[in-house]
Amino acid sequence: MSHPFTTQRKSLIIYSLVWLIIAAIYTVVLVFKKEFSLTISLTEAFLSNITYGLLGLIIWYPTNYIPFKKEVPVYSISAHIAAGLIIIFTWLFATNGLLSALFGSDPIYNNYIQTSFFWRGFVGGMIYLVLVLIYYLIAYARSLREKAQNEEKLRTLVKESELNMLKSQINPHFLFNSLNSISSLIISNPDEAREMIIRLSEFLRYSLKHRENEFVTLDEEIGRMKDYLAIEKIRFGDRLEYKLGTHGSCGKQRVPTMIMQPLVENAIKHGVYESLEPVYVEFSCSIEEGLLVLLLKNNFDPDQPARPGTGVGLQNVSERIRLAYDGKGRMSKRVLDGVFIVTLYIPTNQ
Amino acid sequence: MNKIKALIIEDEKPARDLVSKYISGIERLELLGEYDNGFSGLKAIQELQPDVVFLDVQMPKLTGFEMLELLDYKPEIIFTTAYDQYAIKAFEHSAVDYLLKPFSQDRFGEAVNKLVERIDSGTAKDDQFARIRRHLEESEENINRVVIKKAGKIHVISTDKIYYLEAQDDYVMIYTADERFLKQQTMKYYESHLDANSFIRVHRSYIVNIQTIDRIEPYEKTNYILILKSGSKVPVSRSGMQVLKEKLNF
Repeated sequence: MSHPFTTQRKSLIIYSLVWLIIAAIYTVVLVFKKEFSLTISLTEAFLSNITYGLLGLIIWYPTNYIPFKKEVPVYSISAHIAAGLIIIFTWLFATNGLLSALFGSDPIYNNYIQTSFFWRGFVGGMIYLVLVLIYYLIAYARSLREKAQNEEKLRTLVKESELNMLKSQINPHFLFNSLNSISSLIISNPDEAREMIIRLSEFLRYSLKHRENEFVTLDEEIGRMKDYLAIEKIRFGDRLEYKLGTHGSCGKQRVPTMIMQPLVENAIKHGVYESLEPVYVEFSCSIEEGLLVLLLKNNFDPDQPARPGTGVGLQNVSERIRLAYDGKGRMSKRVLDGVFIVTLYIPTNQ
Repeated sequence: MNKIKALIIEDEKPARDLVSKYISGIERLELLGEYDNGFSGLKAIQELQPDVVFLDVQMPKLTGFEMLELLDYKPEIIFTTAYDQYAIKAFEHSAVDYLLKPFSQDRFGEAVNKLVERIDSGTAKDDQFARIRRHLEESEENINRVVIKKAGKIHVISTDKIYYLEAQDDYVMIYTADERFLKQQTMKYYESHLDANSFIRVHRSYIVNIQTIDRIEPYEKTNYILILKSGSKVPVSRSGMQVLKEKLNF
């Protein structure tokens, strides 16, 4: 852990100020109580306090390495006594040596230095205790904050992974509304109801493959998108028109499973779900300069507000392509005259 | 026995057909009409004054919930929905009934029986609307548009078109670039349901869309005032200034 005083300017200033104040008070006491000259008093006060102030900074390190235990803290206490004695004696000998060298010729002062030795040692010990306490409190506050931060980080991670799981599932709106449509068709048009059940099954079976992260031919991928759109067409009637075509060698190219699904679902969600006017979904593909280009267009109502979660599905597709093709594949999207266009660029297999 | 007059408002045809079929199986119910969107449904409710509306929650442009906010004539409501993302769970313990799609003729019959009981016993239905409103206010979902009736016209305002909101007693005045709309709602509701990344309560009486701020100017000695891109001026309280500083990093 970084030192709380030396690494932060503000706390270093406060720490120094406290020591200066103590030194000032000590000076006043020496001048008025002990009646030493101002020079002696100032030197003694500032020399001892600045020395201890510097040694006090060092105390952070033993505090940091001596763990504070709730059980019988024999080890902690003895370690602190040892560290404390070293600090206090260093301080006493350093200051006493310097002060006697400077003012030893003054007999009254010399006498004072000798007689106050144990008293100083006691005060030094007290200061050691106070500093250790402060350092422990700081370390404790820090670990609390760190713990809270870690928990927060963990919570975000968990939420993210939950979200990813949700995103990979079939939109429940689609599923339950489709089942409701089937329930209705069973009465009015049993043949169509059976057709819809078959399409829904094909689509669900296909979407389960998604987890295995397989590759399939574009023909198969588009075939399942046709199932999906046929089901939506039964729900929405004239509000949805679509054309999905693969030409020539495109259809034989391999693509990650369910790579088009989020795009088609997006077109339905932002186009059909939010528009009273018919929405036209069109898919086309081509091969250009070694890249398979997949293009999906849909018109939409430009007045509609951006829905929450917009772009998450698309971002996932972009991410998948980037990862699956080592950065050689990509996705682009644009809006042109009320038409939303998504394009996927995927390296061809040859 | 007098008939109970019903309407269906639902955007998917197979779903409408099903409810219509279920209605025809219950003698007490009389179907007045079917509507495939909130706007035509709203008009029909005002004109035909049905006793009950079977109302889909998710519809384009105007959801079932948003429709209710605009009604003057208040029929009984039975919601139909595929998925309970719309805080539908909150309705579970209130008199408001809802049907999760797909539902059976029996489940439909149960909802109608409850309805018949309420109508025959004359239980006040007015508080049904208050309850729905309260439930919606308690939901934590952010709103991305506001529906308002002004001079007989329905306006669906995308929240990113809103410049600022001003408290006016029991109402809130909503300002766009060049228009304003009065809506019966609380500031507290908007403060908690508008996207907090864009909308900030800068004053006891004002919420502002930070995307529309042009500049901030000092006002009198210690206060500040926001000048929006539309030229409107919005006062800022001291605590409001604090939040703005944090949000805009200055």
